[in-house]
Amino acid sequence: MNEPAGQLLSVRHLQARYGRLQVLWDISLEVCKGEFVALIGANGAGKTTILRAISGVIRPSAGEVTFLGQSIGGMPAHKISRTGLGYITEDLNLFEAMSVQDNLLLGVMTRQDGSPRGEALNEVYQLFPILSQRRRQLAGTLSGGERRMLALGRGLMSHPQLLMVDEPSLGLAPRLVLTVFDALTDLHRRGVTILLVEQNVNHTLSVADKAYVVEHGRMVLQGPSAELLQNEYLREAYLGRR
Amino acid sequence: MESGLQHRPRTPPRRRSLLRAWLSAWGLSPVFVVGVALLALAPLWARDAYLQRLLVVSLYFGALAMTFDFTGGFINAVNFGFAGFVGLGAYVATLVVRNAELSAWVGLPAAALATGLVGFLTGLLTLPLRGIYVSLMSWFVGMTLMALAGALKDVTRGARGLVVPPMAEGITTLGYLYVLLVMAVALYLLLHRIIRSRAGLAFRAVGQNFDAACASGVDPTRYKLLNFTLSCACAGFLGGFYAHFVGIVTPAIMDTSYTMEVMTLSFIGGSGSLLGGVVASFLLIPIFDSLKYLMEYRLIIYGLMLILVMIFYPAGLYGLYQTAAQALRQRFQRR
Amino acid sequence: MDLLTLQGLLMTGLLRGGLYALMAVGLALVFGVMNICHFAHGEYYVLGAYAAFFAHVTWGLHPAIAILVAAVLSFLAGAVSEKLLFYPLRKLNQSGWVMNAFLLTAGLSVVLQSTYRLAFGTKYRGITQYWNASVTLFGMTVAADRLVAFGIALVTISGLWLFLQKTPTGRAIRAVSQDERGAMLMGIDLDRIQTLTFALGSMLAGIGGASLLSLSPAYPYAGSKPLISSWFVVTIAGLGNIYGAVVGGFIVGLFESVSYFALGQGWQEVASLLLLMLLLLFKPTGLFGTNIKTVWE
Repeated sequence: MNEPAGQLLSVRHLQARYGRLQVLWDISLEVCKGEFVALIGANGAGKTTILRAISGVIRPSAGEVTFLGQSIGGMPAHKISRTGLGYITEDLNLFEAMSVQDNLLLGVMTRQDGSPRGEALNEVYQLFPILSQRRRQLAGTLSGGERRMLALGRGLMSHPQLLMVDEPSLGLAPRLVLTVFDALTDLHRRGVTILLVEQNVNHTLSVADKAYVVEHGRMVLQGPSAELLQNEYLREAYLGRR
Repeated sequence: MESGLQHRPRTPPRRRSLLRAWLSAWGLSPVFVVGVALLALAPLWARDAYLQRLLVVSLYFGALAMTFDFTGGFINAVNFGFAGFVGLGAYVATLVVRNAELSAWVGLPAAALATGLVGFLTGLLTLPLRGIYVSLMSWFVGMTLMALAGALKDVTRGARGLVVPPMAEGITTLGYLYVLLVMAVALYLLLHRIIRSRAGLAFRAVGQNFDAACASGVDPTRYKLLNFTLSCACAGFLGGFYAHFVGIVTPAIMDTSYTMEVMTLSFIGGSGSLLGGVVASFLLIPIFDSLKYLMEYRLIIYGLMLILVMIFYPAGLYGLYQTAAQALRQRFQRR
Repeated sequence: MDLLTLQGLLMTGLLRGGLYALMAVGLALVFGVMNICHFAHGEYYVLGAYAAFFAHVTWGLHPAIAILVAAVLSFLAGAVSEKLLFYPLRKLNQSGWVMNAFLLTAGLSVVLQSTYRLAFGTKYRGITQYWNASVTLFGMTVAADRLVAFGIALVTISGLWLFLQKTPTGRAIRAVSQDERGAMLMGIDLDRIQTLTFALGSMLAGIGGASLLSLSPAYPYAGSKPLISSWFVVTIAGLGNIYGAVVGGFIVGLFESVSYFALGQGWQEVASLLLLMLLLLFKPTGLFGTNIKTVWE
């Protein structure tokens, strides 16, 4: 296979189903090192399922998933996570009854390079100072915005090669949505490769390098964000303007 | 997630004779009819007293497994104190005969009534609980009954137990077999009728998804109570019979290991099949009993079988039967 | 009731409570992490007792080493049972896990009891004492064995607490108990954690059985009393609540010793069970239980 230089994740003809119900047909996408890629589409289009199939939470029924040149399709989730692929789910899956610091430390179970834990912890605290203030508090007691910060921070602890983030703006107040997007762009500027799933098309296209549009479990459009913003169909269907 | 999306064409209703429809409505499947006929004709082929005894014990455990399945297989609540209810029935039947000096024909209904009442109360206790908590609660009730049987020494003579007079003057093992056969058939017809009625649907609805059942207008309280009361009453009824048959009743009859035995039979037979447990009982109990050296290992084998069935083949014998019948039918139709 | 009797009751209650706490912590751990209502927990207690008996009496090992042998053995037995039984059950049918796993432990309990009976007969195998000494506490003479067993229970529980709080693996166990998917995505191998948890739970029971050998001898059915009592404890504490299990252990220990004194043996059991049912009815999450699925928070 000829892989373009810097290719991190490549998904080819991916299919997935829940029981007998097929939800993904022939999904292909590609993420290169340092890119900020977005998956956009309506609620229920299958965006979350794509992330689940890549991360091993569900087993793809067909297709190939290659990460860092290694085929990871069908591998158990914890092994995929250990290859350096981070996944922050829509419902965050925080350990509610554990302290913020314990949550972060759990993120470092799978550290790739041998750098000490304390360092990673400091980095995250620098990135999100609010977490440092709350380090002894139980994760379940945090506010919505803080919970997202914690999930992001926990995802970063292991220095993943690629961070997949599912709907980080879901259910947040508009002001907080901006904060989360700022945090994501900041991370991207620091060299983190990001695959973002969002319904908020406007915001997403303003920060992502390129995007894929998913409808009814299929890819319908793809291209650099700037081009997509000019696309008639997209503008009509998602941005509500001509 | 997958339901409702695929509409399968319904198979056209097969024409069935009125007789067959009637038989099936009463649950008189070929297996059942043949089994009952064989037992009714026992004097012709089972002359040996030992063999007759074996038939009684197998049928007794089979009937218990059926009763157990009525709760476990339908409303999906495992009554872990089952042996306690059986024992309660045994004690009540015994005490009625011994202390009130009435005949067994009063004792057995009294046993059913008393256990039914305690079953009803247990049902009430489990009402606010779900799943595993129901099992825990019924287990605690069963153990309380056993502890009471041990503690109420004035009435039960504690661990020394009570001697029970025979059911009737000069009754033979064959006589017991016929009594039990009539009891078991009657219980089966009753339980099967209920399963086939609206109540049966409600049981399954309550068992599969409590909240959905509530939402769709089934009153789970009523059906849960009905189910618990009935199955406990049946257990007590059978327990009363057994007390007469073995002639002694001690608190040990309420031990959880008996619940285990009955539960295993019912699970091996196939959850939700009523008759599966009876078949399992007739298959297993004679094997254990005739191979005396197996008796030592009996509980190990039961436990292992329960484990294996749970892990690898939850459908049990009934599932096996269904699969086989299905395959046969298909082969038949293809011709 | 005079003061000395009261003191005696409190003392036996507390000492008994230590064992119950130890057993119940194991139950709570297994429930909290794996969602298993463990009905065969008592069988690992018995295993520990047998192991300690043979190690101490037959091989003549030092009591401390005998108890250690029992701990290691029951740990291994727990690990093997998990890999052999619960692991395949988890992989093969996921629906109705709690009930199926419960039934599986019921089967396991019967199998183990009968195996002990076949292997060792129904003979009681006990010792008079590990340590030939007694201590006078508050004007009462207490056998050293009791105090040592109590000490072992406390040390084991504290050790487990430290392990769960301070080590990465312990943290991973807590993580799995709270959010399996989250733990999986952090790279935690669920299968490994589940096996470890079951092994640890069994080890706690085994240590209990071993350290109390002089008070309750090993025999095939010795596990049911401690099992019921520790179920009593976890029902009070709330299933899966480890911290509650420690406190609950002492409550049950005291309750049992007082009700035993007041009611006699038969009725004491009835009283315990009635109280248990009331609790299940009115406070199914336990006295301290706010969140059922928590391990030691």
